Amino acid sequence: MKPIDCELESEVLAAVLQDRWPERVDASLREHVAACAICADVLAIAGAIDNDREQLRAHAAFPDSGRVWWLAQMRARREAAQTAGRPITAAQVIAFACAMGLLGACFGATSAWFQSALRRTTSSLATIRFQTLIPFAGTFIAQHGALLLGMAAILLVVPAAVFLTMLRE
Amino acid sequence: MLRETAFTDVRCDSALDDASAGFMMDEDTFRAFYERTARGLWAYLARLTGDRQLAEDLLQETFYRFLRAAATYDNETHRRNSLYRIATNLARDVRRRSLARAALVPAGDDIERLPSGQDAGATERLADFTRAMSRLKPRERAMLWLAYAEGASHREIADVLGLRPTSLKPMLFRARRKLAELLGSAPHGGKV
Repeated sequence: MKPIDCELESEVLAAVLQDRWPERVDASLREHVAACAICADVLAIAGAIDNDREQLRAHAAFPDSGRVWWLAQMRARREAAQTAGRPITAAQVIAFACAMGLLGACFGATSAWFQSALRRTTSSLATIRFQTLIPFAGTFIAQHGALLLGMAAILLVVPAAVFLTMLRE
Repeated sequence: MLRETAFTDVRCDSALDDASAGFMMDEDTFRAFYERTARGLWAYLARLTGDRQLAEDLLQETFYRFLRAAATYDNETHRRNSLYRIATNLARDVRRRSLARAALVPAGDDIERLPSGQDAGATERLADFTRAMSRLKPRERAMLWLAYAEGASHREIADVLGLRPTSLKPMLFRARRKLAELLGSAPHGGKV
């Protein structure tokens, strides 16, 4: 089986990292490296990696500890606020579901009355002569035109304002 | 053992103020730990990603996650290993994300352009090394860096990279062989 490590590779590594290679090491270690493929590989890469490490460390660009701490605090607060907001949203969903259920129950309880009222309204509308209403409508618009215009504006503007506000949020 | 591990013991159970609630250490402890580890971690991330700006971003994210982790550590080495594990996982996640792919292609273009006051030969050797590293798999880069730049033990490397210690040795051997071959075939060598 081909060996994948050598007992002297740590010595070679130490010699390279401590700038002792090749002058300040035993001749026996130099002879070993010349004959050992594993130690030769260690020698080839260790110095290169160490040089690269020194270069990178010398030109490292990172924020100071105070800034990192401050940003971390801000982020932790924001995330805590978001986490605290989550149960409120869940409670709102539950409340909405309860309200819809209550509405359905009320409708079910009053459905007989509702259906009879609907029938009455339908039959009443069938008996109305709309042509007779036109003069009445004209008079009403002439007298309360401003009021009608305001109501129409509210009906249009309020939903639009709500929509735009929600969009911004 | 990782380099620079002969640190004084760090208190982790200090009282936390309201703002830092949830952090595993107080500000003074954090700042001391950051000063000891940030430079080395940035170099690791820069070499792993090939991108200096990304390395800075990942560094900040690493420390944030480290602070939020509700973990206890036996000693400084354990704490540093945890930091490097978070960084390694973040770098891997970013690499996997398609959006970051363009920024993370390990071509080494970014860190090849490090400002250097050295002679042309040294600059070319650095560029050769960067290119050689960029041709390794990310995990190979990480394990070689941890072993030869950080001086981590096999057990520590396995811990950081989420590997079994028994499978690390052959993997490290292959990665080392590959890098040695790449450096040997580089135009300007790369040998010591």
